[in-house]
Amino acid sequence: MKHAVAVLLVAILAALSGCASSAPARQASRPFDDVRRLTVVVSGESQFAVLEHSAEPGRTFDALLKWSPYGTLLKPIADLVHQAINWLVASDRKADAAGDLRDISPPLVVATAFEETLRASGRFDEVRTARREPAGQDRRRDDVVLRLTVPAWGLVRVREGDPDLLSAFADVRAELVALETGTVLWKNDEDVTDPERLPLKSFTGDRQFTRQRLIDVLQRAGHRLGSELLYARSAGR
Amino acid sequence: MSARRWPAMLLWIAMAVSLVGCSNTVAVDVGYPEAGVNRATLASVRSRRVEIRPVTDRRTDTAGIGVQPDEKKKLVVTSRPVTDIVRDALVAELQRNGHVVVPDRSDLMIAADVDEFAFDAVAARSSAQYVGKVALALTVTDRQSGKIVFTRRYVGIKRQNADRDATHAARDVMDAALARAMHDLATDAELAHVFGDSRPDIQRI
Repeated sequence: MKHAVAVLLVAILAALSGCASSAPARQASRPFDDVRRLTVVVSGESQFAVLEHSAEPGRTFDALLKWSPYGTLLKPIADLVHQAINWLVASDRKADAAGDLRDISPPLVVATAFEETLRASGRFDEVRTARREPAGQDRRRDDVVLRLTVPAWGLVRVREGDPDLLSAFADVRAELVALETGTVLWKNDEDVTDPERLPLKSFTGDRQFTRQRLIDVLQRAGHRLGSELLYARSAGR
Repeated sequence: MSARRWPAMLLWIAMAVSLVGCSNTVAVDVGYPEAGVNRATLASVRSRRVEIRPVTDRRTDTAGIGVQPDEKKKLVVTSRPVTDIVRDALVAELQRNGHVVVPDRSDLMIAADVDEFAFDAVAARSSAQYVGKVALALTVTDRQSGKIVFTRRYVGIKRQNADRDATHAARDVMDAALARAMHDLATDAELAHVFGDSRPDIQRI
């Protein structure tokens, strides 16, 4: 019996020491660790939006459905109506908030801030932004491009209350692609939100202020994207 | 009821009360898993001995980190103190980047204040938008001279849509917000520069 216990103890100790001595997994080198020259290609439409995430306009429908014998059948239709109402409400607010923004190119603002972050890191020799894919001489020179789009930007309700609070936001997509092979080396979808939270009136009442907050969040998106790319690279290369 | 049964009854009542109390909160295990920590810009400078001062909690509301947006509206708390979560994240990031965290006799001292560590949930009909936010104020002091050589505020925010009763959503947005703040810190070229050469004549404040 004592032998069996001893054998069991030895086995447990061996297993435990095996766990303890295992070295932490080394970070594998990334295929873009050696990239030092980068062209950022900006493209795509950027949809300006005021995202409400509100249940308020749909509450009347909820109340009606509770009393209707066809409540279960009608619920999918009510959901659609509810979405449509929210969209209409948001459209008015969007029109108020989106004044004086036509000259802003969201992907370009993001790309400029992204460039700044990469340059400051000292890990890239050259970073530039282009509005189209490199061709001819440029294509032969560039090994890797970062394709950057900003599918959505605008204002988003981030806190319920009286009044509700909103923040500027930008949703950014980036793909690092090796031109020769078309291989996607790194991909990142970044939802970026301005730390500042304000009532809707602050945005609709002062367009210059709104414009600045939106530019700030686009710049924040560029810096965030840069941080994530640098973080994904191994250090000391 | 006999006098001998009173202590048992009191114990049972105490347990019942504590269980009812617990049911009004949801504990989430927010953290910064070491497996996801990379060597980043902070690893590009020489290794330093760093002392991390006790992390201070400067949040205005320390009772919880948010409220679950379902019918029950339960208070969400972290399963460990927020200051411990942040300290562990800092230690993991510094060590992975080749620096040595020591209790004393350091080259540099880091003080971290937690200004925000919470999420908001905006409920729609069946889903909710969760917004997690972590704001940390970092101060680096050169131990030899006693001078502050670097201060910066790192803010990580994560937005995510999920079901109103999704128990994982609060943890997910807080994990991601903390990770974003730590990634910004680890890739901060100026912080790395200060680590490499923390002479007071190159103050970056």
